[in-house]
Amino acid sequence: MSDQPLLDRPVTRRAVLVGGSLAGFSAFLAACGTQGTASSPTPGQTATAPPAGTPAATSAPPTTPPVRATYSTELNWANWCCYLDVDPADKTKWKTLEDFKKKYGTTVNYKEVIDANEGFVATIANQIVAGQDPGWDIITVTDWMVARLIRLGWLEKFETANMPNFVANVRDVYKAQTWDAAMAYHAPWQTGMTGIGADTTKTGEITSVKSLFEDDPRWHGKVEFLTEMRDAIGLSMLALGLDPRTPTRDGADKAVALMKRAQAAKTVRDVKGNAYTEDLAAGVAVLVMAWSGDIVGLQAEAPNLKFIFPTEGVMFWTDNVCIPKGAVHKGTAELLIDYCYVPENAAQIEAGVAYVTPVKGVQEIFAASADNKALATDPLRFPPAGLEPKLVPFGILSDEDETYFNEQFATVIGD
Amino acid sequence: MGGWLYRRRRFIPYLLLVPGLVWLIVFFAYPLTQVFLASFWSGSVQQGYSFSISNWTNYPDAITPVLPHIGRSLLYSFAATVLTLLIAYPLAYTIAMRGGRFKNLLLFLVVAPFFTSFLLRTLSWKIILGDDGVVFGPLKGLGLLPEDFRVLATPMAVVAGLTYNFLPFMTLPIYVALEKIDFRLVEAARDLYAGPWRRSGAIVGALVGGVLAALLAMAFDWSIPITAVLAASFGAFVGSVFVSEAFVRITFPLSLPGVFAGSLLTFIPAMGDYVNAEFLGNPDTRMLGNVIQNRFLTQNNFPEASALSFTLMAGILVVVVIYTKLLGTEQLTNSRI
Repeated sequence: MSDQPLLDRPVTRRAVLVGGSLAGFSAFLAACGTQGTASSPTPGQTATAPPAGTPAATSAPPTTPPVRATYSTELNWANWCCYLDVDPADKTKWKTLEDFKKKYGTTVNYKEVIDANEGFVATIANQIVAGQDPGWDIITVTDWMVARLIRLGWLEKFETANMPNFVANVRDVYKAQTWDAAMAYHAPWQTGMTGIGADTTKTGEITSVKSLFEDDPRWHGKVEFLTEMRDAIGLSMLALGLDPRTPTRDGADKAVALMKRAQAAKTVRDVKGNAYTEDLAAGVAVLVMAWSGDIVGLQAEAPNLKFIFPTEGVMFWTDNVCIPKGAVHKGTAELLIDYCYVPENAAQIEAGVAYVTPVKGVQEIFAASADNKALATDPLRFPPAGLEPKLVPFGILSDEDETYFNEQFATVIGD
Repeated sequence: MGGWLYRRRRFIPYLLLVPGLVWLIVFFAYPLTQVFLASFWSGSVQQGYSFSISNWTNYPDAITPVLPHIGRSLLYSFAATVLTLLIAYPLAYTIAMRGGRFKNLLLFLVVAPFFTSFLLRTLSWKIILGDDGVVFGPLKGLGLLPEDFRVLATPMAVVAGLTYNFLPFMTLPIYVALEKIDFRLVEAARDLYAGPWRRSGAIVGALVGGVLAALLAMAFDWSIPITAVLAASFGAFVGSVFVSEAFVRITFPLSLPGVFAGSLLTFIPAMGDYVNAEFLGNPDTRMLGNVIQNRFLTQNNFPEASALSFTLMAGILVVVVIYTKLLGTEQLTNSRI
């Protein structure tokens, strides 16, 4: 099935993204394999040439961004939990941000304040509409939310001329987005999967997403759903044998009914945003809808936790970094985003976060390194090509459908 | 200068009122008017809002889907008020009547939790009530509780949080009321044979205990008959053994203004609270405060949020007026002495 050019398939843009990510990924592997540029990286320099045939490769060779005289001394970045590498020397700090500070003198106020897309964007909406400083220079939101923010005119346009590493090193598959084809408003941060997180010592072997909705004494009252509508409805649709790539109102009704049935049976303890990780770590939840990299992050403290890739598939999505309208440190924000697109820096981040990186050359750096060799073949970081049909992106919703889905889903959240 | 001021001295009280009035206008009257006007808006953050009286439909549109939340708010707030009363009354009584030289220290202990933030106090209950936490962990270890027993993410946790957080608001007014009582009245009553309450105490105790427990059982989803019978027996025991007729005829009636104030100070904030339901509950325990918070901050649906806020305020006002009519402090204090 992988013979057909994935990018030409008449499917949704999400499917394009996903399909492309794997096809492009193997092409990319092949390209890098022959060039072998990542084998002797010099710290602080970009070492990886983009794959041959990429227009960007000839037009914008990767360089260190021009060091401008003035960068702000502070920068405010809102992100989700488990999305940056912890400094091994000081667990309260972020290694990448410490390095960035050393190089450019900017202190990054990095806050894991985002628990859910809708809830976070609501906190900056008023400032943006009023033309005020939203308080953040970089925000991290999922692709459907980026599309909405662009439509509303709530994002600053990147000065891509100042971001050569980003232009050169973003993987080709991410360039197919219809809502920002020029990639002038968003830079992919991490791609991940929504599957099952479980303490298998308590639940036993879990293989199917259906387990989330079954009443079983081993996880009765210890199941948690996510408040992200697309993740929760998506996984429920998979459990019902429906395809979230083409979401229908009927499908949403059935998915919501499935979740409400589990809630009525008191199987479900709570419906949460990123805070589900606390309950899982504390052992009060043992079977949850989970984001892939989170579980890897938790395993350091709780080794019995596992991310399970259900037989029906996982939801597949990308979170992106953007600059909100009115951000006061736009130039420095671009500098930091570009910094994270230097493959060595991306590899350092990736070693700590366990999601799929949008940056070229990271897998090669892992493969060539002594400490992180195993990461190069980690299916959570680099999903193998055979997994492609199981990586399910949520289809595009019209505004009316989105409202309908949210209204139905609100009965699950309880608000 | 002094003469000028002296001639106009009758204006001085108004002058002294100015800071308070300005504060009220800027931080209470103006925002309240804004919220009221917003409840007649239509539109969205992106497209802007427009005001029209015909948007009164915001009210039914906002209220209809959240009727269960309103019901829960009433039930949980009532349960919390009853529980705080049951806990605070003996506490305040002990401090006021038996506190002796430790009175101030005990009062300080009642207020001490206020030195930490409301949020932290609520979050710490997640640790206390944790499924395998300090309370339930050992009980489960001893096999006294089933392995999957939990309180967090249930109505009980929400009511417990509300009860705990508003306990000082109940304790302090009752303490003040009890403290003011002239103890010679009680002594006189005892001289006039107002001894232990005995049979009447058992009957009243059983009735009060049974009815309150039945209502609490509704809130907690417990078996109503079993809870009611247990509580009725307990009430009868307390009524007949611990309560004297002097207390029933003198102390309790004189402390009612405190009970009245404490109940309002507990019930009103509990009705609007969303922190306890958010952190200690789950989707099945969300209260009206959570809905308003969600409409304001997550959905940016200001018209519906404002309509709900005003409905809540009006509802509380009605409850308070009824309560005042039934148990008004005026009649209480005038008629009993």
